[in-house]
Amino acid sequence: MNVAEKPVIAAASLIGQRIQKKDAPEKAAGKTRYIQDMVVPGMLHAKILRSSRVHAKIKSIDTSAAKALPGVHVVLTAADVPDQQPIGVARDHLPLKGERVRSLRDEIAAVAADSDEIAEAALKLIRVEYEDLPVIATPEDAIKPGAPLIHPAPLDAHGRPQSLPPKTPIAFAGKADNIAMRFDYTHGDIAQAEAESDVVVEDSFQLHYVTHCCMGVSGVIAEFDASGNLLMYSNTQVPFLHKREFAEYLNIDPSRVRIIQPPIGGGFGSKLDIYPFEVICIFLARAAKRPVKMVFTREEEFLASPTRQPVLLTLRSGCRKDGTLTFRQVHTLHDNGAYTSWGATTPFVMMQTFSSLYRVPACDYHTTVVYTNNPYAGSFRGYGNLQATFAIEQHMDMLAEKIGMDPLDFRMKNAQDVGEVTGQGMEFKSCGFKECLTTAAERSDYRKKHADNIANRNARGPVKRGIGIASMLHVGGGAKIYPSDGCGTILKLDDFANVTLITGASEIGQGSETVLSQLVCEELGLPISAVTVVNNDTAITPWDVGVHASRTTFIAGNSAIGAARKAKAKILAAAAKKHGCGEAALDLRGGFVVVAETGEPVVELARLMRNLHFSDKAELVMTTFYYEPPSVHQDKAFKGDVSAAYAWAAQVVEVEVDTETGIVKMTKVTGTHDVGRVLNRLGLEGQIEGGVVMGQGYALTENLIVENGVTRNPNFRDYKLVTAPEIPEMDITFVESMDGEGPQGAKGVGEAPAICIAAAAANAIHNATGVRIFGLPFTPEAVYRALRGKSDKPHWPAWKPE
Amino acid sequence: MPDCTTNCVNEDILTMTIERYAAPQSLDEALGILQQGEVTILAGGTDLMPQTKAGRIAFKPTLMNIGRVAGLKGVSLDGAYLRIGALTTISELLRDPLVVQHAPVLAEACDQFASDQIRNAGTLGGNINNASPAGDTLVPLIVLDAEVELASKPNGSVTTRRLPLAEFFTGPGRTKRAANELLTAVRVPLPQPGHVARFYKFGTRPALDISTISIGIAGIKRDGALTDIRVAFGAVAPTPVRAPRTEAALEGRPLDAEAIAAAADTARDEVSPIDDVRATAWYRKELIHNMTRRMLDHVAKA
Ligand SMILES: Cc1cc2nc3c(=O)[nH]c(=O)nc-3n(C[C@H](O)[C@H](O)[C@H](O)COP(=O)(O)OP(=O)(O)OC[C@H]3O[C@@H](n4cnc5c(N)ncnc54)[C@H](O)[C@@H]3O)c2cc1C
Repeated sequence: MNVAEKPVIAAASLIGQRIQKKDAPEKAAGKTRYIQDMVVPGMLHAKILRSSRVHAKIKSIDTSAAKALPGVHVVLTAADVPDQQPIGVARDHLPLKGERVRSLRDEIAAVAADSDEIAEAALKLIRVEYEDLPVIATPEDAIKPGAPLIHPAPLDAHGRPQSLPPKTPIAFAGKADNIAMRFDYTHGDIAQAEAESDVVVEDSFQLHYVTHCCMGVSGVIAEFDASGNLLMYSNTQVPFLHKREFAEYLNIDPSRVRIIQPPIGGGFGSKLDIYPFEVICIFLARAAKRPVKMVFTREEEFLASPTRQPVLLTLRSGCRKDGTLTFRQVHTLHDNGAYTSWGATTPFVMMQTFSSLYRVPACDYHTTVVYTNNPYAGSFRGYGNLQATFAIEQHMDMLAEKIGMDPLDFRMKNAQDVGEVTGQGMEFKSCGFKECLTTAAERSDYRKKHADNIANRNARGPVKRGIGIASMLHVGGGAKIYPSDGCGTILKLDDFANVTLITGASEIGQGSETVLSQLVCEELGLPISAVTVVNNDTAITPWDVGVHASRTTFIAGNSAIGAARKAKAKILAAAAKKHGCGEAALDLRGGFVVVAETGEPVVELARLMRNLHFSDKAELVMTTFYYEPPSVHQDKAFKGDVSAAYAWAAQVVEVEVDTETGIVKMTKVTGTHDVGRVLNRLGLEGQIEGGVVMGQGYALTENLIVENGVTRNPNFRDYKLVTAPEIPEMDITFVESMDGEGPQGAKGVGEAPAICIAAAAANAIHNATGVRIFGLPFTPEAVYRALRGKSDKPHWPAWKPE
Repeated sequence: MPDCTTNCVNEDILTMTIERYAAPQSLDEALGILQQGEVTILAGGTDLMPQTKAGRIAFKPTLMNIGRVAGLKGVSLDGAYLRIGALTTISELLRDPLVVQHAPVLAEACDQFASDQIRNAGTLGGNINNASPAGDTLVPLIVLDAEVELASKPNGSVTTRRLPLAEFFTGPGRTKRAANELLTAVRVPLPQPGHVARFYKFGTRPALDISTISIGIAGIKRDGALTDIRVAFGAVAPTPVRAPRTEAALEGRPLDAEAIAAAADTARDEVSPIDDVRATAWYRKELIHNMTRRMLDHVAKA
C-alpha cells in the first residue's frame, strides 16, 4: 500500500486485550507433536525396572535372560555405569541403584530394545534378590531416636565406616541421621511478643501427597553424535540448568550438550529437576550408540514422578484484643521421601508467607526435612505456599473469632501495604493486597453470607452453606535463587517486518509465547501474527534460568521489551534519517512508521526494512537484550528482597456441605488478584481458572495414597482429579497496581491462583458447620468423620533437632 | 467370517497371547465358536482392555468380538416385558424412549455412569458379565426383577435359558454363565400401576467415578405404603445384593418417619462391606443408612 493512501493511524494498545494463545489452533486440532509423537530414525525404546520392595538391600541382579531376548540391545544396572554421579540438590541420589533400594520407585535396571513391548518383556526376565529392611513410613518415625537410617554410611571390609574425603556426596558417604535439610528463620522477639498477646492459638496441620498429573507424561530422547555430543529432546522446564548438570554427570564440556524441547504437555514444576530416568536414558544411548526414547506410562508417572511436599506443621499465633497480630511460631516436619529434590526447599517460600503475608512483629520458623521410604517430593506450583497458607489463613479466622472480630476486618488490620519492608527484608514496591481483600469480599457479599451461614447452621436440612476467605503473597518478579535470575532475548526483523523472537523462556502451556509476542508487538506496532517465537533449543536461544517462581512474564517479558525497544530505536533512527525528521517525533503503529502526534504514516515498516537491507550500507535490524531483575540473594538468615515484585490475592470460596454424606460441593470462587497489570486478559483468566481448579483438587479430591511406602492409587480411577461438572462458578477480577519494575506494570501470577483455595475451603466448611478440619484433603469420608467427631486432629509437638 | 490369526513371537514372554480373533456376524456362528471353548468375549472392551492390560485377567486363545452379531442390540417390547439386547450401549439406554418410559430408574443409573466416551462403547451385557459389585446397571435391574437370557449351542442347535439377575452373580467377576453361553438379552417386567423405583450412587465426584456404594429401591406405592418391595445394594459385598431384611422392615408399612428410620437402621446392619482405597467399611455403612433414609423420605413425599 502506498503511504499516501494510508489514512492516519490512531494509537492502539494490545495491553489488556483478549488474545488467543498462539499454540491454541494446533493443540485444539490435535496436531501438536509432543515427545510421545516423535520418532527419531534408528531410535530404540527404553523401560526401567523399578524396585518391588520399599526398603531393601539388593543381594543380586541377574540380567542374563533379559540380555538374551531377541530385540534387546542394552541392559544396564548400576554395575555397568561405575561413573554414575549422584543427582539432586543434596547429591544423595544415584540414578541406578546397585546396593540398596529406598523406595518403591527406585530404578534397578534399564533396557533399550527394538520396541516398548520387547523392553517390557525383558524387564520381566530380570531377577532381583532382595533382603528386606525395616520401612520408615512416616516422618515422625524417621526422627525417633535409633530409627533405621535411610542413607547409612557404607562400611569397609571390617564393618567400620569408610573414611572418605570431605565433601563426598551423601550418595557415597551416607548420612548419620535421617535429617535431609533444616531451615531456621527468626525476626523479632518471640517471647516478648507472646507476653504482649491477649490471645494465643496453637494447632497442628497435616498436608497430604498430591501430584501434578500433567497430561503429557515424562519423557526424553537421548542421542549422541559421532563426535560424542549429546542431543536431548526433553520436556524439561529448565533447559539451561539441565545442560550444565548433564555435562557434569557425563564429565563433558557443557557446550557439547544440546537440549531441544518439543511442545510440553504441562509442567507445573514437575519438570524442574533432573530425574533418574533422564540420566539412565543417556546411559542407554551411550551404550547402544543409538538414539533412545523413554516415555513413562501413566502408572509410572504416578509412581515415579515427584509429588507435592507432604507437611506436618504446628503453628502458634498470637494477637491483641484490638486485632493486632503479635507473633507466629512455626515448626514443620517435611516428608522428603527417600531422596532430596526441590520439595525439600519449599521452606524458602513457606517462611515468606509466615513472616510477611501480614505485618507480624515476631516470627520464628523452623523446618526439618526428613528422609523416609516414601516417594520423594519435588516442586509443584505454589512451592509450599499452599501448605503454609492452609495453616495461616485458618489461624486468621480462629484468632478473629477468639477476639470477636470480623475475619475480614482482622485481615485488613494486619494486611501489608505499599512501601512496607517486612522482617524478612521483602520490600513491597507495589501492593494491592487490601484492595484484593475488599473487592473479593464485596463481590461475594462475604460479610453478610458469613453471618447468615452461622445463623443457619442449625436450620433443618442436611445441606449447610459456608463461605470462607483466604489471602496469599507470592513472588511476582522472579526469585533470586541461582547466580542469575535473568533471561536473554534475540530479536530479528526480516524484510517483510516480521519478527522472530528468540527467547530463553520455555513455553510449558502457560502462554508465554503469546504474552511475549504481545509485549514485542506493543513496542513495534505490529499484529501478533507478525511474530514467530523460537524458544526451545539451547543451541539457539539465549540463557534463561527456567520456568519457575511465576517469573516468565516478568523476567522474559522485560527482556523481550528491552530487545524490542532497542529495535524500535534503531528503526526510528533510520526512518528519521531517511525522511529527514526528528526520531523523537516518530512512532511505530499498524506496520508503519508514523508521526507520533498526528498518526500520519511516514513509511511502511516493511519497506523501510528492505531499504535498509538492500542498500549500499546494508543493515539488518537484530537486537539482543539480557534482563536481570533488581532483586538480591537472601543472606544466611534467609533475609533479603529476593523478588523484584510481589503478587497478592484474596479468594473467597463458597461451599455446600452435605452433612449426611460429607460431600463438599464448591459452588463459587470469587478471586481478586493483584497482577500489577493485565496483559493478555484471556491468558490470565485461563491461568487463574486452571489454578483455582488445581487448588480445588488439592482441597477436596486429590490424594496420592501412600501406605507403608506403597502408592495405592497410581491411576486416574482412584486418584481423583476434579472433573468438569465439579468446577465452581468463578468471578475473577484484577487489581492493577502497576508495578514500576514489571513489564508494562505486570507481575507474575502463574502459581498464585492455586494457593488460597484449600485454606478458604477450610474456613468455608467451618462457617457452614462449625467444625474445623486441620488435615487435607476434604474428601467426603474425611469431612463426614470430622462432622461426627470421629477424626483424629493432627497432633505434633513442636520439635526441632538439637 | 472375518477371521485373522496372529502368530505371536515368544508368547509366554510377550504379553499378547491371543491366537485367534473372530468377529462373527450371527448368533449361531458366535455360539459355535463359544462351543469350541477357550474364548474371551469382547463387547465394548471398556472393562476387558484395562483389566487384561493390568494383568488382572488373561486372554483366552480366541478373542471373539461380538460387536457385529446381528440381533443383540436394541430395546423392544416383548409381551409384558421390556427386552434389552446385550449389545445395547449405556448411551443408548440413557436415551431410549422405551427405557425412559418403562424403566426410568435404569436410565437414571446410566446418567451417572462413567463418561460419554465410555458410555458410547460400554454395553449392558458387558456391565452385567463383568460382574463387578459396583456395576451401575446391576442394582437398578435387580430391583426391577430383571432376568438374563443366556444362549448356547451345546449339540448343534441353539438353546436359551433364563435366570433372575439377582441370582446370576456368584462373586466378583464370577457369574452362573457357563463358558459356552452368551448373554443375549435382559428382560424386565413392565411396571405395575403405582410402581416406584429409585437409584442412588455415591461416588466422590459426580462424573467418572466407580460407586463407593449404590442403592436401588423399588415397590408399589399405594396409600402411603410400599408393597412388593425390592431393595438392593451395590459395592457392599462381593456381588450386588438384595436386602431381604430391609425389604421386610418396609413391606406394607406406612412410610412414616418411624418406618423409614427402622428400615435405614436395618439396612446398615444388613450390609457387611470392606475397607478399600475408596472408603472404609464404617463409612459405607453410614452412607447406606443415611441414603436409604433419604431415598425413602423422597419416595414418601413424592
Ligand atoms: C473410565 C471408565 C469408567 C467406568 N465407569 C463405570 C461406571 O461409572 N459404572 C459402571 O458400572 N462401570 C463403569 N466402567 C466399567 C465398564 O465401562 C462397564 O462395566 C461397561 O458396561 C462394560 O461393557 P463393555 O461392553 O465395555 O464390556 P467388555 O469390556 O467388552 O466386557 C466385559 C466383560 O463381560 C464379558 N462380556 C461382554 N459381553 C458379553 C456377553 N454378551 N455375554 C457374555 N459375556 C460378555 C467380557 O468377556 C468381559 O469379561 C468404567 C470403565 C472405565 C474404563
